[in-house]
Amino acid sequence: MNAFVKGNPDLCMGCRTCMVACVVSHTGRHIFELDPDDYTFNPKLHMVKTRAISVPVQCKHCENPACMAACPQKCIHMEDGTVFIDTENCIGCKACMEACPVGAIDMAPVSGVYQPDGKERYVANKCDLCREQSGGPACIRVCPTEALKLVSYEEIADTAQERRLAAAKANADGSLGAAAQAK
Amino acid sequence: MAKQLGAFVVGDSDKCTGCKACELACFTVHNQKSNGVGRTVGTVSVPVMPRLFLVKGETFSVPVQCKHCEDAPCLNACTKKAISRVDNQVIIDEKKCMGCKDCMMACPFGVIMLAQVYDRGKVLRQTTGEAVKGAFKCDLCAGREAGPACVEVCPHQALRYVDPVEERKEKMRRAAETLAITKTL
Repeated sequence: MNAFVKGNPDLCMGCRTCMVACVVSHTGRHIFELDPDDYTFNPKLHMVKTRAISVPVQCKHCENPACMAACPQKCIHMEDGTVFIDTENCIGCKACMEACPVGAIDMAPVSGVYQPDGKERYVANKCDLCREQSGGPACIRVCPTEALKLVSYEEIADTAQERRLAAAKANADGSLGAAAQAK
Repeated sequence: MAKQLGAFVVGDSDKCTGCKACELACFTVHNQKSNGVGRTVGTVSVPVMPRLFLVKGETFSVPVQCKHCEDAPCLNACTKKAISRVDNQVIIDEKKCMGCKDCMMACPFGVIMLAQVYDRGKVLRQTTGEAVKGAFKCDLCAGREAGPACVEVCPHQALRYVDPVEERKEKMRRAAETLAITKTL
């Protein structure tokens, strides 16, 4: 099963360091030392702020990815627990963007590559869990409030098991069960 | 500057009944000015050629049309530069088209067709007498105030106009709210 990065809105303070780290990790450029006009900023996760919460949203690395099924170019692959986009053959058709229920996919320009009409080439852009970098997802490493973590299926399954056990115990101990009512 | 992406229309095979109202509306809108179609049924003097395709399989039916790709293979393939981006949409100028079919071969959705060009109800002809053929595809009813006609006429609301940037914002907002619900893990 695929793991994914999950933000906690209770801990997130909306500083967007995760977005910066994502760009640095994927472009390899030291953007703090550059003029903001000299680089394109296209993070693979996005900070969402509503009146009540702030939290970054990124790809859930679904087991049956709608994006992967929608791609006419067969650019989206699932390997080693990661759903990732091979942008080489991407045509920017937005089918994956439309298919994704999370809004995790964006279209980003490939800097310096132009189409005949002068517009930069745009391709799909989403979280790949920093699969080509060592040290795991950069967003998790840099978050100052530790609001991001990598969640595995095993962890979810273990938690579910614990919850079932707790629910059963509460049933056995408390007044909810049929046995308790019969007494 | 906020990112601008081309909008597009998508069909929902769960709702589509295959009635082809979308195809008729598409044809009518695109031939109103040049071929006088649309006042009565009797004004139809050219073949009904919609720019979207109602596709029927054994168990489904759904209209398929242009996605207005951001790195559009048709635009990249066109040697005549007859395909360009206008207001973020991919538009074919059939007057510039020389009928080379490169765009048709490039499109992975199969939504471009080559057809005879009609003007005022008559086949447009080359100097040799051969009919002029041009590439046609969805232009989101460019210039039509009410937006794409196919979306408007569908009796089952099976067609949806997608603004990818706005839809993504809404989906991310919902995902953020879900994270607030699942935060105890």
